[in-house]
Amino acid sequence: MEDEFFGEKSFQHYCAEFIKHSQQIGDGWEWRTAKECSDGYMCKTQFQIKNGTTASHLGTPASVHACLPTEEDLELAVDGSEVMESTTASEVIKYEYHVLYSCSYQVPVLYFRASFLDGRPLALKDIWEGVHECYKTRLLQGPWDTITQQNCQLHHIMAEHRGASCWSESISELC
Amino acid sequence: MTDDKDVLRDVWFGRIPTCFTLYQDEITEREAEPYYLLLPRVSYLTLVTDKVKKHFQKAMRQEDVSEIWFEYEGTPLKWHYPIGLLFDLLASSSALPWNITVHFKSFPEKDLLHCPSKDAVEAHFMSCMKEADALKHKSQVINEMQKKDHKQLWMGLQNDRFDQFWAINRKLMEYPPEENGFRYIPFRIYQTTTERPFIQKLFRPVAADGQLHTLGDLLREVCPSALAPEDGEKKNQVMIHGIEPMLETPLQWLSEHLSYPDNFLHISIVPQPTD
Repeated sequence: MEDEFFGEKSFQHYCAEFIKHSQQIGDGWEWRTAKECSDGYMCKTQFQIKNGTTASHLGTPASVHACLPTEEDLELAVDGSEVMESTTASEVIKYEYHVLYSCSYQVPVLYFRASFLDGRPLALKDIWEGVHECYKTRLLQGPWDTITQQNCQLHHIMAEHRGASCWSESISELC
Repeated sequence: MTDDKDVLRDVWFGRIPTCFTLYQDEITEREAEPYYLLLPRVSYLTLVTDKVKKHFQKAMRQEDVSEIWFEYEGTPLKWHYPIGLLFDLLASSSALPWNITVHFKSFPEKDLLHCPSKDAVEAHFMSCMKEADALKHKSQVINEMQKKDHKQLWMGLQNDRFDQFWAINRKLMEYPPEENGFRYIPFRIYQTTTERPFIQKLFRPVAADGQLHTLGDLLREVCPSALAPEDGEKKNQVMIHGIEPMLETPLQWLSEHLSYPDNFLHISIVPQPTD
């Protein structure tokens, strides 16, 4: 049981490794320090067109592989760095992913937030609809067990994270 | 002499007299009188305000009604914070009743989580309980419980049934006889004057030498600005359930007796009122 958990220093060390690798492959993860304390977290922002079949990167380097090491993430196909000029602001969805250390569970926790470009959050049911097919059954059986609404302590963003049953999977994917 | 168990009842049955008034810009078909209610400190707004919603909806047209939300002096009230915490943090220095404004339009997306159903409240509540037990017992006690026990905790809170709730919750307040307390104390410290929503850190109830840590020890470690300097004037109140416990109170005792039903100590740091 003890081997599954690690302390905050280890978390920061593994994050540094993770971000170094992310920079090498141009994957967009970066480290941010929280205000008023020495805590920090990893973050990444991604954009997607609402119908979910294609995505374009707006303002980021070309040819970025957009597959994130998360379970509920949508597999995004990237067609280079073109901006879809015909897309209206309301159809583009911004996904922000934050990986914080939870001192309660002593594991990394994935938070995500989906919103339109004008800042309005996506409705819960739209988020549930966007979950990858292979997790849909489980999600629909217990939506509140799979993804939880949370207000995390480092900032006021209304973020959502995976239910407690998924901790060990998070570790193996993130470390 | 008050028994410690009486404290549990006093905490559970704490109430805040509240006056709900409809926001003046809401469109009504008839006059909407203010609605008075005693709010349970230990519960959550969206769990206990069905009657408030019905009362104001009667004065409005169906098409003008969407998700209800509450505000106090311009601050949207987070339904996922316990009611007592919201009051202590925002309104403890104001005269009673607590005046809350009711809205049905312009939901503040950036400030509040949506609360689509009671399931959302239950999920949030159980998530907090599980996190508290992760800190106290490495989740062993809560994970050994059956689903019906989890349900009983929730139903006890929802239906205001002290005995039903504590029949199960007492197991979450136990610890091995060889220890002097929980592994870590579940707490969150809130201050309106800072950017962070709250402070939460790992903190043991017992020091290495076996001495019990106090509330003062906790604050000195994680929120020293809350405490008055040695010779200085007291600038803040450290409040739990509307009272200021003595800083010498053992944290383990506070955790067992003054936690909210989610098993967290929700502590407010508010400016000392000037009389």
